[in-house]
Amino acid sequence: MKPILLQGHERSITQIKYNREGDLLFSVAKDTVTNVWYSVNGERLGTYNGHTGAVWCVDCDWDTKNVLTGSADNSCRLWDCETGKQLALLNTNSAVRTCGFDFSGNIIMFSTDKQMGYQCFLNFFDLRDPQQIEDNNPYLSVPCSENKITSAVWGPLGEFVIAGHENGEINQFSAKAGEILKKAKEHTRQINDIQTSVDLTMVITASKDNTSKLFDSNSLDHIKTFRTERPVNSAAISPSMDHVVMGGGQEAMEVTTTSTRIGKFEARFFHAAYEEEFGRVKGHFGPINCVAFHPDGKSYSSGGEDGYVRIHYFDSHYFDFELEA
Amino acid sequence: MQDTVAMVDDPEYEEEEEEPSFSDPEDFEDDIEDEELLEDILREKPQEADGIDSVVVVDNVPQVGPERLEKLKNVIHKIFSKFGKITTEFYPEADGLTKGYIFLEYAAPTQALEAVKNADGYKLDKQHTFRVNLFTDFDKYMNISDEWEAPEKQPFKDFGNMRHWIEDSDCRDQYSVIYEAGERTAIFANDAKDPILAEERARWTETYVRWSPKGTYLATFHQRGIALWGGEKFKQIQRFSHQGVSLIDFSPCERYVVTFSPLMDTKEDPQAIIIWDILTGQKKRGFHCESSAHWPIFKWSHDGKFFARMTTDTLSIYETPSMGLLDKKSLKITGIKDFSWSPGDNIIAFWVPEDKDIPARVTLMQFPSRQEIRVRNLFNVVDCKLHWQRNGDYLCVKVDRTPKGTQGVVTNFEIFRMREKQVPVDVVEMKESIIAFAWEPNGSKFAVLHGESPRINSSFYHVKNNGKIELIKMFDKQQANSIFWSPQGQFLVLAGLRSMNGALAFVDTSDCTMMNIAEHYMASDVEWDPTGRYVVTSVSWWSHKVDNAYWLWTFQGRLLQKNNKDRFCQLLWRPRPPTLLSVEEIKTIKKDLKKYSKIFEQKDRLSQSKASKELVDKRRAMMEEYGRYREAAQQLYQEQKSLRLELRGGVDTDELDSNVDDWEEETIEFFINEEIIPLGDL
Repeated sequence: MKPILLQGHERSITQIKYNREGDLLFSVAKDTVTNVWYSVNGERLGTYNGHTGAVWCVDCDWDTKNVLTGSADNSCRLWDCETGKQLALLNTNSAVRTCGFDFSGNIIMFSTDKQMGYQCFLNFFDLRDPQQIEDNNPYLSVPCSENKITSAVWGPLGEFVIAGHENGEINQFSAKAGEILKKAKEHTRQINDIQTSVDLTMVITASKDNTSKLFDSNSLDHIKTFRTERPVNSAAISPSMDHVVMGGGQEAMEVTTTSTRIGKFEARFFHAAYEEEFGRVKGHFGPINCVAFHPDGKSYSSGGEDGYVRIHYFDSHYFDFELEA
Repeated sequence: MQDTVAMVDDPEYEEEEEEPSFSDPEDFEDDIEDEELLEDILREKPQEADGIDSVVVVDNVPQVGPERLEKLKNVIHKIFSKFGKITTEFYPEADGLTKGYIFLEYAAPTQALEAVKNADGYKLDKQHTFRVNLFTDFDKYMNISDEWEAPEKQPFKDFGNMRHWIEDSDCRDQYSVIYEAGERTAIFANDAKDPILAEERARWTETYVRWSPKGTYLATFHQRGIALWGGEKFKQIQRFSHQGVSLIDFSPCERYVVTFSPLMDTKEDPQAIIIWDILTGQKKRGFHCESSAHWPIFKWSHDGKFFARMTTDTLSIYETPSMGLLDKKSLKITGIKDFSWSPGDNIIAFWVPEDKDIPARVTLMQFPSRQEIRVRNLFNVVDCKLHWQRNGDYLCVKVDRTPKGTQGVVTNFEIFRMREKQVPVDVVEMKESIIAFAWEPNGSKFAVLHGESPRINSSFYHVKNNGKIELIKMFDKQQANSIFWSPQGQFLVLAGLRSMNGALAFVDTSDCTMMNIAEHYMASDVEWDPTGRYVVTSVSWWSHKVDNAYWLWTFQGRLLQKNNKDRFCQLLWRPRPPTLLSVEEIKTIKKDLKKYSKIFEQKDRLSQSKASKELVDKRRAMMEEYGRYREAAQQLYQEQKSLRLELRGGVDTDELDSNVDDWEEETIEFFINEEIIPLGDL
């Protein structure tokens, strides 16, 4: 499959996300730029300008009306998707690491880093109440004193947020009162990314302990484990097949001591039920920081340390491929 | 320097302070023992039994009359004062002649011991060979009870079948793996499909492990010494206490092990290098050692009968089991630079550099006769390296020379044909600098890597019987810095280790073809199994902190397994003992190989299908379990549909095409390509 190369960032990609219908692909990077692209051909629609620091996270609501971004410039911003206008600016005390719209698109959550004497907080704003935005006053702010949140997604019905921490823990935080509903400690090192399946029933975690694990969203039961020899930076679940894709590499610092070969950083495909790797896609010049499946399952994208986003459309072999069983 | 002023004359001093009192307070009780304060003096305090322990009795002394007594005494003195200071001597007489035995007293018991050790058996003349004994020994021997007591029976330590691993029905070789940065050591049996774990222990060794030359023992290192393990269950066979041991070496016959520790060494009791008897666990002898730079310091002859070491201008050869110097003296070889034993015979090759008018020489010397079987003069030599072929059939001396009148260094290979009368020598001249050289282990070929990076070439030579050395083939532009021959010969791997990023080339030297070219990125080691069927390339954590793993290849270069092990450090194949089959029996087996190979192939096919059946069954079970989970999740999902509709204002978003009415059709034109077609002349 020949990939579409998106060149719109000058520094490493931190997150990429498709909108619900899959026609748009959002990408954010350390260069403060937030881009949105047509996923069908890689043409860029536009940018959302305003952040002055590295943008760590991006999300789009179910109706593709609003876009949410969080940045190291200590702010979380809301944008109008079509026009690019900044709708709200929420200042924080430390960098915003992860953010997201709930199922209804009415409530936003974001977490802030443990920095400069400030704890890690998980904040909730209700967009239907403009006062909260104006006063920068979240209706719920949950502190996380021990291990900061490194990645988080909403649960299936907007009742809780599933958060991954820097010690490998996963917690369900209630969106009503902020108490921890369920816990799971399966990983041994930092959770780099959590993503949901398209129907939100499962989540997949990517961890620095070289594994990626599949959990049930409601019960946090540990279903599957996918093992590699390198830290995993991001993982995603295919919407249409029993596959997962994982991207990783190693710490940016260690890159020059290992492979200096061109284009040898790979995205790996595992069979979700057999936990066996069945394919790899090369192409990035540096570790892969984020992967995402198109909601129809016919393509996937990856964003790397090299600043490129690559969109890959699967050929028929991918769909016909079966492991003997 | 400033003149010192006497304190007393210093005017200030007198006036200043009263001299501090140095006496002990009144009731001070001295609690230091005499032993502590006066240790060195007390050691010399005459002890009661001292005198007797320093006395030796010498027998077979010539019986002489008073006129020759003075002369006899002088001779005895000359011989025996070598071992220490003689304080008293007594020559008992009877009937005007000395009795034929004398008593000598030394200044210390250690000297008496030296005398016994060295003078016992000394041949004064044809009729008189001294017998020297400690005086106390007489007492000891006299007091042996007349009743013979049977020695205590030591319980028989049954370690089981020490060759158990050879009896594996599928002929799997074993190898040791150290991983988790040294925390875990495991022994695996090698199978083409997957390694089979035989034994695994945490902290089995503190640094690394070594196999004995015939594979019987596994040696592990510890702060206090080494331990040997063996048998089916790897029980501890023997333990050798040597504080701080860092290096070991086995004798080829597996009777002895040599340990080195940089820590312990005293003048009286050399402890840097110790030679142990493996079966009894006894310390046989200790030696000094200045540095362990070229370990092993002691080189063993192939049959374990002799071991030798080189010190400045000296070559010392010792024999087993006495551990004494062969012929009681070392060889003086001025300027000796390097030596090595033939792996097939008790012959040592050594070389001496140029000395004024005498050219550099390589000498082959036979032991124990010390006969020089061959000497070869070499001119304008810068350096020499000795490379023996594994059976001792050939010796290659790599000579780096600066020919007269030139500045550069050229290299020759002097090939000594050991099996031919008078050991003829042939010379192969090499135009480029040599990177690596290796003999085919049981054949007459050798491989050379030469050139300068990045233009490295590999050449293969055949030493023919008719006196010629033929270049069979040369490959250029190789990415290699090391040569690894299969232990059975014919096949080899050219590897570019470390800085060359693990490039591998598998070569069949029977027709010098490249069977396969592959890569194991950042490989640091290549190890053939003892049978020559498999090769393991590995990335050790000691040289590279990421991607630590070992890969198994067939001898043809087909990759069989990739085994990732957390912080993998070292893999060593377990050596096999020499075959018990005679040459005829091997011939018969080779003839009937077709018969055997049919059986083996059938067996292989069965195990293959069994493996895939196992895998298929496993997958089926996993899929079923996963399917059940998904079904339950789906059910819950369906039940929650109404909640979802509510959250999104009645819009059904469960499927991508749930709201077909909402869709708009749009036709977009994409620019794909531009083509300019000239319309020709109009």
